[in-house]
Amino acid sequence: MNPEIVPIHRKESLREDGMLFVRTEGILETMVNAPLIVAGLMVVALTIPFQTSFSSTRTLDLTIYSDGSAHVSAQIDVDPLEPDFEVDLFGPSIDNFVAVGENGFLLSSEIIGDKVTIDTFGSSTITIDYDIHDLISKEGRVWSFSLDSPSDYSLLMPPNSIIVGMNALPSNMELINDQTKLELGNGFSEINYIFGTTNPPTTNPPTTNPPTTNPPTDYSTFAIIGAPVAAGIVGAIILMKRKQSKSSTVLQNETISESKTKVESLDTETIFSLRPNMREDDKEIVKFIYENGGQALESELRKKFLQPRTTMWRAVKRLERQGVIDISKKDLQNLVTLKKELEEEE
Amino acid sequence: MRTITTYSLLILVASMVVGGMTSTVSAQDDPAILLKIAKRAQDQIQNQITSDSPDKVKRLFEEGKQQVTALEKALRSDNVASAKEHFLSAMKIFTEISRHLSTANTASDAAPQTEAASVPVRPTVKDPTSDLQRLQGYVNSLKTIAKKYDAVIDFSVLDELFTQARKEISNKQFAQALETLHDIKEAIVKVNKELREEASKQESQRAKAYAQKYLEQLDRLIEHAKKQGVSDEIIERLEIARKNLSSADNPSEIVNEIRKIMSIKDQFELTKNDRLESRILQVEKNLSRLSQVDGVNPDDIADARDTLQKIKRHLSEGEFDAANELLRDLAKQLQEIKRSL
Repeated sequence: MNPEIVPIHRKESLREDGMLFVRTEGILETMVNAPLIVAGLMVVALTIPFQTSFSSTRTLDLTIYSDGSAHVSAQIDVDPLEPDFEVDLFGPSIDNFVAVGENGFLLSSEIIGDKVTIDTFGSSTITIDYDIHDLISKEGRVWSFSLDSPSDYSLLMPPNSIIVGMNALPSNMELINDQTKLELGNGFSEINYIFGTTNPPTTNPPTTNPPTTNPPTDYSTFAIIGAPVAAGIVGAIILMKRKQSKSSTVLQNETISESKTKVESLDTETIFSLRPNMREDDKEIVKFIYENGGQALESELRKKFLQPRTTMWRAVKRLERQGVIDISKKDLQNLVTLKKELEEEE
Repeated sequence: MRTITTYSLLILVASMVVGGMTSTVSAQDDPAILLKIAKRAQDQIQNQITSDSPDKVKRLFEEGKQQVTALEKALRSDNVASAKEHFLSAMKIFTEISRHLSTANTASDAAPQTEAASVPVRPTVKDPTSDLQRLQGYVNSLKTIAKKYDAVIDFSVLDELFTQARKEISNKQFAQALETLHDIKEAIVKVNKELREEASKQESQRAKAYAQKYLEQLDRLIEHAKKQGVSDEIIERLEIARKNLSSADNPSEIVNEIRKIMSIKDQFELTKNDRLESRILQVEKNLSRLSQVDGVNPDDIADARDTLQKIKRHLSEGEFDAANELLRDLAKQLQEIKRSL
């Protein structure tokens, strides 16, 4: 089991029993031209750093999630003269793939099986990120992560997991917020882990945004800076109010005329008869849109029904799925329009 | 002379072997971590073993414990090689125990289920925390990219949906959370589309800039080929390919034309200097990155830039060997700058 390479020495007896006819000292001169070999080897030795510097993985970081999926993040040096670059992924079940060039620009890519072709267009370094479902298997309570890595890598284990077996020797280990991070070498490694019995796995997802630290609040500073700023804001509001009172009637007319643009649409009774399973609250939304001329901004719907953004967005998406409305963009806002024609539900 | 040659040959081979080995063997920074991992595993297994556990498991655990003790001793006597062996043996045993215990637990869990088969089981929905984490990670990447493009993409709906999903998961409302995740996925598709549209506009410009650089390299190649007396037919093919590339307008056309040029180069063995050119580009980018790092001596950067200019000069004059030699010096210079930080 000793991983060290033990040199195999030629036995002395071989030389003495007279079975070999060529003397080892003369073999180089006899069979090949030594200076040529030296020159050849020098060329090979000198080009080694160049060969390894192309298309090599600079960093590789893996994160294992509690459900047995994993996130892979790799920074790869690529040939800047090549228009595209093919990367071997660690498996075919890939989600959420993103490839970014050295300047942080999104690179086009095409995944076929467990390979991805990325249009690098002169980038010398690319970063790829993806989720994968092929690296971890489960047998009873024991999860097994296995990877044949082309380079050294870091592996962040899921929270509350305990390693109960491994065939590789980590070069480093650290604990990051209840998660073990291992540094492993290239080659094949298998790590078996289970989730701790003492503390159940946490259900609160750790935020992936960088942690923010709250500095101690200095109220005196706020007071010094805040008072003049607040006074300025109050002054500005008063001025704006005065101006608005003059122009409000004009603006109101403009807004009404804009939102009341009449759109040809089906009447609500027809819509409800074609969609008998529509929820009551959704019917109210449809009625409002119809009365509003067949279209309304999503923000108007929120104001009308006093609903939070998410709830309204869901309702609108529900109506879109039912084929009742269309959603389009207008001045960076969602414009909801009743459809002119409605297919009967199957 | 022969002896010198033989020795230099041996030294070269030995240096190459050693050089090759360094990349495959990872250094054990702190062997004590092996003990930490093994002890944690041992404690965990111990917690699971009860008086009812099979004898085989108990015996295996004793063996595992002995290996951990041996690992501890090996570390105390600084015998790293032995420590590694004991670590791997202990971990192998602990895996086996975990599998045994796991199988036993599954079997004992299965029994009451069959007895209560007639009792309707309430369908349970899986905790979607990991799905949420994956999607959040993906959206964070998209946000970073959108910022890079100065793209006006509204992520507020997604942010709210994430907050909602987190809340639902912490309240154990997994079915609702799954519905929210479905909405998140739909919103991501939309955001992704907007972002890709924005990216494709700039991709075209990047592709053209890349094509321009490639054309410059191709010009040098054609020039060099003419000097070397390469046949007129090959030069004509290269010139036609050059013309086609310069008129290529969109990224896919550019890729196709460059592929054709590469095929001509391969066909007529003109790829000799491609690697050198690529390496120069890469070193140039490394140098540019280093120049922006705080604490780098500006004189060192100026020297490196000077060397780079010389390399480029050699390259344009077709003096590839001289360029290659200087490039090696420059790589060393950059390594030293990095080390000095």
